[in-house]
Amino acid sequence: MVRIKNRYVVVRIVPEKPTNILKIDDAVLAKSVLRNVKKYYGDYGLGTVEHGFRVKYCNERTKIAIMRCLHRSHRTLTSTLPLITMIGDVRAKFHTLYVGATIIHCNKFIINHQQRFLDEMVGQIASAKERKDFIKRVMEFDLEQ
Amino acid sequence: MTNYFHLDVELKLRDEDKAVVTPAYFLGSIEESLQSFFGEIGGQTDLQLIKFDKNQKRAILRVHEEFVTRTRSAITLIGHFQDIPCHFIIRNTSKEQLDF
Repeated sequence: MVRIKNRYVVVRIVPEKPTNILKIDDAVLAKSVLRNVKKYYGDYGLGTVEHGFRVKYCNERTKIAIMRCLHRSHRTLTSTLPLITMIGDVRAKFHTLYVGATIIHCNKFIINHQQRFLDEMVGQIASAKERKDFIKRVMEFDLEQ
Repeated sequence: MTNYFHLDVELKLRDEDKAVVTPAYFLGSIEESLQSFFGEIGGQTDLQLIKFDKNQKRAILRVHEEFVTRTRSAITLIGHFQDIPCHFIIRNTSKEQLDF
């Protein structure tokens, strides 16, 4: 039995104009990444990346996303990410934060990352209720299968 | 020992008379195919046309060793030359100089 290896790429989306909420759909994200893969690596590159590619998670507040791809194509994908300048109709760029072999490892990384993000942001919020809501929104992490 | 490969490539057109075959168009169609199948990064291949025969529609190309597989596959996948159905035949490959 052959095991199919995947790679999970954790990215942070950095829009040109800083916003609190970034309205980007999983499908739009996947489409723009694949369009750029086709541009830079052609039909062959698209063929290798497209198989097994999926956007697993996208948080519109922390602007963090997880993309899954096959192990053999992760170098094509990660080398395309810095070249992307438009996601849907938003001018933005990707910062690759982590490349992991399992989603659990990515999850652990994101929790640490978001904890750091919270430490920075919570100080700026005055009311206790708002702070509680904010923490809840940031730390919500449900991966649809 | 050079690290270059030489490819003897022949163009076969369905309609022989309609197409204008010049060395530039010949090389251009291969480069266009490389760009289309391997993209802006993958398709960057240093391709040189050493010799060209207009009557036989045949050329000798020189390409670096590491790009041979990519170039061969791009040449094989070409289906149209100036909107005329066509195919390319790779008659010979060698590390040494080739001639018709």
